[in-house]
Amino acid sequence: MMIKAYRYIKARDAVMRGIFLFCAVFAVLALGCICVFLFAEGLPFIGKVGVSNFFGTKWHLDSGAYGILSMIVASLYVTGLSTLIGIAIGLFTAICLYKFCPAKAVNPIRQLITLLAGIPSVIYGLFGMIVIVPFLRDNISSNGVGYGILAASLVLSVMILPTIVSISLDALNSVPRSYYEGALALGATSEQSVFKVMLPAAKSGILAAVVLSIGRAIGETMAVIMVIGGSPAMPGSLFQSVRTMTANIAMGATELSGDAATALVSTGVVLFCFTLLLNTSISLLKGGFKRESKSA
Amino acid sequence: MKKILTSLALVAAILLLLCACNGKSNFDKTKNISVTTREDGSGTKTAFMEIIGLKGKEDPANVIMQTGTAGILTEVKGNPAAIAYESLGYVTSDVKMLKVDGVEATVANIKSGSYKISRPLSVVYKESSLADDVNKAFFTFLQSSDAQKIITDKGYVSVVDNASAYTANGALSGSIDVSGSTSLQPLMIDLAAAFEKLQDNIKVNVSGGGSGTGYKNADEGVSEFGMISEEFAIEKAASCTHSIVCKDGIAVIVHKDNPLATITMEQLKNIYDFEAGSNAITKWDALIK
Repeated sequence: MMIKAYRYIKARDAVMRGIFLFCAVFAVLALGCICVFLFAEGLPFIGKVGVSNFFGTKWHLDSGAYGILSMIVASLYVTGLSTLIGIAIGLFTAICLYKFCPAKAVNPIRQLITLLAGIPSVIYGLFGMIVIVPFLRDNISSNGVGYGILAASLVLSVMILPTIVSISLDALNSVPRSYYEGALALGATSEQSVFKVMLPAAKSGILAAVVLSIGRAIGETMAVIMVIGGSPAMPGSLFQSVRTMTANIAMGATELSGDAATALVSTGVVLFCFTLLLNTSISLLKGGFKRESKSA
Repeated sequence: MKKILTSLALVAAILLLLCACNGKSNFDKTKNISVTTREDGSGTKTAFMEIIGLKGKEDPANVIMQTGTAGILTEVKGNPAAIAYESLGYVTSDVKMLKVDGVEATVANIKSGSYKISRPLSVVYKESSLADDVNKAFFTFLQSSDAQKIITDKGYVSVVDNASAYTANGALSGSIDVSGSTSLQPLMIDLAAAFEKLQDNIKVNVSGGGSGTGYKNADEGVSEFGMISEEFAIEKAASCTHSIVCKDGIAVIVHKDNPLATITMEQLKNIYDFEAGSNAITKWDALIK
């Protein structure tokens, strides 16, 4: 009787172990499949059309020109500008919430900012398309075009705010309070201690926030497509219809076939390499952060 | 802190006001034309560019690309300086349709052929294949009122007057292969599905490949019917004849405040041609005197 029960338990354990193992490797498998698909489809295509064609400036499917350089540049511009705006606003928001905001208001504001992160990106895109683009077109732009890098950057900067604010705030909060008190004791004002002592001490965390938001910005698709314009032209102005790599993939994915569709996969390879680079730098930063806090 | 918050709120309020005011602004003809197009690979885009004589050409540098019908309509509705094109069936009253060469884009004008930006969508087939009852049944169905209803519902222009309802013949069974133009393919899939519902035992396989494939497959007998989205050219399939399934009309649309009423094919070409050079039309005052 006992042996039977024991066997049953053992078998059950084995089954459950199998299930858990499967769950554990599922994500890894998915990553592997995506990588294999991307590189197996995309890389040969780059070889086939030639590196100089693929990284050229001309994208015109009918004449076999698959240059995505203008899109890489547009992606970098949009990502850079949105991160700049996002950091400028987000970092000061975090500092304000950390020290200069009435204590009662901190949590509600934080909650509301976190709520921003929950808004679907297509709604950001819709807002950008219906409010920001016409506003830029009629009031700011000199050439009557509202679409472009600035519109996309503005929309994206709001999207990445929650990431920057919450991670920077956590980083600030994790700096020992004694730093602040020590600075005050040495005669610094509250502002001086926050900006000159607390902020540098939290820099690793803030840097992580920046890299994470860059990752979000470079990969965002839906909101960007709706406000970027979509012309595969080399960016020359903030108010010019351009196309990012993500937009290129999503705009063509349902319509194109044959070589043109494969070109989109190859665009995906380049995009994937960029995000891979970012993720690696995040892990490196995190490693640095840990070592630093150990030595502190 | 309070001061900052109040000033922020003020700025926001002013911005909102500015937005609201601008919504009602009058048309400014000194503005650049905001050339709007569809994404690469779109059937409407391919057809439009081909008809205005820019087949396979690049887009002008500052073109705004919208994915899908709704995007085009939203843009033209909101941007007074925009010009765009759209399948006639999808145009709403929120935008203004332009006459092309003085002809209004109406179903009647497309049917008669006087409205230029339209094209026939046809099937090509061998006369002999209609001897087969199954093929003949599908051919008859395409001309029936059942098919015309689907054609009109999907936004295409029916060219068959006084069509009669299709009467199913339960004794028929077999399969039909239809291939070719990707412009006609989506409609053909709907038509085939309706036909299969009426004729339980007939299977219709619809595949793409382009108009060239349509000619070739019909000529070589690979498919019973080939689909083409251009005027029938006998030299491309010598053994075949053709029948128009429907017509597809593309309207040129602008913002409601735009005073322009009519545009010529030549002007359209110079707006959408990236190589127009000194002929290029980039500002509205070149069109509106």
